[in-house]
Amino acid sequence: MSVTRRNLLISGAVFAAALAGASGAAMAADQELKIGVVGVLSGPAAQWGLALKGAVEFVAAEANRDGLIKIGGAPYRVSVVAIDSKYTAEGAAAAANTLAGQGVKFIIGAIGSPEMTGVKPIAKRNSMLVLGNSYAKDAIGSQWPLVFHVGPGPSGWADPIIKIAKQKFGMKSVMMVAPNDQGGTDIATVDADAYRKNGIPATEEYYQRGTTNFAPTVTRIMNAKPEAVDLASSPPGDVGIIVKQLRQAGFEGPIGRLGGPGYSEISRVAGGDAVLKDFYWYEPVVIDEKAQQIADDFKKLLGTERPENNLFFQWVSGARMVVKAIAQAGTISDTEKVAAALRTLPVTDPNLGSGHWIGKEFFGVNQELSFPFGVGMVTGGQLQPIVRVEAATGK
Amino acid sequence: MQGIVATSLIGISLGAQYALLALGFTLIFGILGVVNFAHGGFYVLGGYIAYSAISFLGMPYALAVITAALGTAALGYLFERFLLDRLIDDHLATLMLTLGLYMMISSGILITFGPQSPAFAFPLTGVLRAYGFYVPIENLVVLAVCVAGIVSIYALIYRTDFGRALRALADDRAVATAQGLRPKVLFPTAFALATGLAGLTGALVTPILSLAPHVGDPVLATSFLIVILGGLGSVGGATVAAFLVGMVEAFSAVYLGGSKGALALFVLVLIMLVVKPSGLFGQRARGA
Amino acid sequence: MSRPALSASRVGAFAEIASIALIAAVFIVPFVSDNPAIYSLANQVLIAVTAAFSVYIMLRMNLMTFAVPTFMAIGGYTTAVLGLRLGVTDVLLLGLGSFLVPALFALPLGALVLRLTGVYFVLVTFVLTEITQLVLFETPAWTGGSNGLIGMPVVTFFGSDLGDNRAVLLVTTGLALAGALITAAVTRTLRQHFAAIEENELLAQSLGLVVWHYKAFGFAVAAGVSGLAGFALVNMLLTAHPTSFSPLSSVNYIAYAIIGGKSSMLGSVVGGALLVWAGEMFALRGEYSQLMFGFLIVVVVLAAREGVVGTVSRLLGRIGASVKSRPLDPASLPTATESQR
Repeated sequence: MSVTRRNLLISGAVFAAALAGASGAAMAADQELKIGVVGVLSGPAAQWGLALKGAVEFVAAEANRDGLIKIGGAPYRVSVVAIDSKYTAEGAAAAANTLAGQGVKFIIGAIGSPEMTGVKPIAKRNSMLVLGNSYAKDAIGSQWPLVFHVGPGPSGWADPIIKIAKQKFGMKSVMMVAPNDQGGTDIATVDADAYRKNGIPATEEYYQRGTTNFAPTVTRIMNAKPEAVDLASSPPGDVGIIVKQLRQAGFEGPIGRLGGPGYSEISRVAGGDAVLKDFYWYEPVVIDEKAQQIADDFKKLLGTERPENNLFFQWVSGARMVVKAIAQAGTISDTEKVAAALRTLPVTDPNLGSGHWIGKEFFGVNQELSFPFGVGMVTGGQLQPIVRVEAATGK
Repeated sequence: MQGIVATSLIGISLGAQYALLALGFTLIFGILGVVNFAHGGFYVLGGYIAYSAISFLGMPYALAVITAALGTAALGYLFERFLLDRLIDDHLATLMLTLGLYMMISSGILITFGPQSPAFAFPLTGVLRAYGFYVPIENLVVLAVCVAGIVSIYALIYRTDFGRALRALADDRAVATAQGLRPKVLFPTAFALATGLAGLTGALVTPILSLAPHVGDPVLATSFLIVILGGLGSVGGATVAAFLVGMVEAFSAVYLGGSKGALALFVLVLIMLVVKPSGLFGQRARGA
Repeated sequence: MSRPALSASRVGAFAEIASIALIAAVFIVPFVSDNPAIYSLANQVLIAVTAAFSVYIMLRMNLMTFAVPTFMAIGGYTTAVLGLRLGVTDVLLLGLGSFLVPALFALPLGALVLRLTGVYFVLVTFVLTEITQLVLFETPAWTGGSNGLIGMPVVTFFGSDLGDNRAVLLVTTGLALAGALITAAVTRTLRQHFAAIEENELLAQSLGLVVWHYKAFGFAVAAGVSGLAGFALVNMLLTAHPTSFSPLSSVNYIAYAIIGGKSSMLGSVVGGALLVWAGEMFALRGEYSQLMFGFLIVVVVLAAREGVVGTVSRLLGRIGASVKSRPLDPASLPTATESQR
């Protein structure tokens, strides 16, 4: 019985700590700019959310170091409230509501399409400004004037990458392979269209999310005899296994991954660049010396290594734009004014170069950030330097 | 014909992997009457223990696998002895307890090791090729360990006093206890055996597939399917069912594709349950 | 036999009235607060509680179900399809549909799965949730496939729109209340029958109880109550999406019912409120949230064997009546734990 009583005490302490944290954040409300983060911090997709959270925490620390936010001459401290959205619509909606309850007016995130679906109505109802990610075809739009897109989806970058890959590898057919939920289908369908536009017939194959051994999928791919395989937005761990098993099965063609970063992890799981052999992928930023500077600053300001996922850099550039817009608009409550400032801000980043606002053609609103991006490539088992591609325009 | 043989080879290697996992799951259920939601957690933990032993302690792979099996067995022993045992007869409570444990294991690993897969490779690579077929050498190792594992479990359960005691407890706990068998010692040991098996499988399979904090999630669903097919608590049934599930998964995924293949597998299991509720080799059901 | 049954029924009646009163009390919230965080929490708790009622009903028959997300999905998608395809917006019609369609669906399904008992039933309902996801993916023409359905018209009540924060909470409360009333009515009316089935199904059958009728009825009602929760969820999010009905979410609903206390309806209410609130608090702790949630479950299971409500009422009973009378429902104590003491 004594043990159970002690357990009770401990659980009480856990609750108290959670409560104290929540109310503590709510108390220091004046002279503070709170930025909300809605991202998946648990489960299989946790690395996306942790990259997002790290980026926003970094931008906040940077803004505090430089005294960036001054409203009416008074300095404001930037703080971050990050909430786990659990990669579901209801988790993200709940997170957005909690933030609204705390008076937070700016949300960076969410990442996945279901999450964005959950966030948008809440943000609209509470006139919050959102800078989100989601590759869904309705990620942003004119019905959500305060929702911005941190970077283009495959509609923006698939085409230039395919052109480079086609020139390099000359494949005549491709098979798209991705998980069977929205995280897979949203991207693979757009990628497949982009291949077809470049004269490469594409077929689509979806596997059950949660598959651990891809030997049957690989056999199915081999039976279809495509010249190239593109793994779209399959998670890096899955990509690593599929590549390894494809090579074991004797697949010699190039393998693409037009869905997101994660090269290092893919290479680790697959068993090295020699196994990747001919491999190309979308890299959201070109990590040159200037970009590397962000990683060094991250360590200086926050005392730990930056999150490994390279979407981190994209979120840094996006969060910086939002903070800049807030500083320029001179308000932490009037999100319409901040949004107006954001729309007119030139798209530049001290570390990541400059680009422009796009989105009119695909979404109907020019609220999508477009920075220069990269094409990563391994050829003949050798890692090649990332090819820099200028920021996508007009899509 | 070529295709059928190649797909069967895949089915066998899937089956070996599943059999190792399901054996522990079915043992815990058969003997303790506990549906162990944390089974996948011990699988992942085995992978991470082996990975740590190699990268931080510089152990050779084989030793790391043994360390993982022993480590997860020890943890399983402590968990059964000090937490689970208090509620061992309340099926709902043990279900909740193992569920809570699973959440703690997987998030603890996420916090400690980060979300990405670390560099953890199987020491033997290479593929055997003949007559147009191919078999990765690593799959043969898993198959060998699987066969050895199943044989030893059989020997243990059917040829030793320890096994007889466990079976007696599984049959009728009251009578067995009255005859002097001590569940307080035997239960934690049986639990440790099962979690050690999960840890061993993790250490063996995650370097072939991938190691990440969440790779234990699908283990539960697969184990469920296998014990439904094989009959709960039946070691022989679980073995046969594991290979059956491996075969069905291989053939349905190759010939029907992702979603439809998985659907076919689930529907097959559903039909099986309805036609023969106690599984291929099952006995009567326990209460929920 | 008659006396404990009588006192048990009295305790049960108290729990049922308290549950209904607590849920009805949420109707006040929109008139005293306009904090979106509170609205959101109230919505989530009510949906959780409604879904947990479904688990509670099945537990009356000694069956633990994982299939709650399956029936929530049927209910939720029914209302989404009715709204999008047929333009039905009346909340009463949609509510009726979200109850009846899953309930009707449960009848043939029940014919298949209700023959199973114990862990086999647990496992088969788990398989059902996996099948649900795949069926959603494979029927894009009806369900929108992996993208789900979005853009439903706002629900109406006799022609007036129920679209804002307040109205959404009122709808959720109404659905939860309906779920509570149905649950109370069914478990109360069939209390004796369910108890007989729980105690010893074979014996009940041999004594002339047509067990099959009651089980099928209970299963259908539980499915309908899940459907109400699905409607509330879809209405709150304005989207019907496969991720909202994931197989693992079933574990949450079971946790609400058991952690709160499986032997009374109030347990589902308390468990749902406690765990949803804790989950919200923990979500602020980012990647630590799952760790804390798991820890909380372990602690409550160890410290309060009969669930929060069961343990609290036992403690109260002990304090209140040091006299010999036993105020608690003896049937609610798991016999196995008693033998250990």
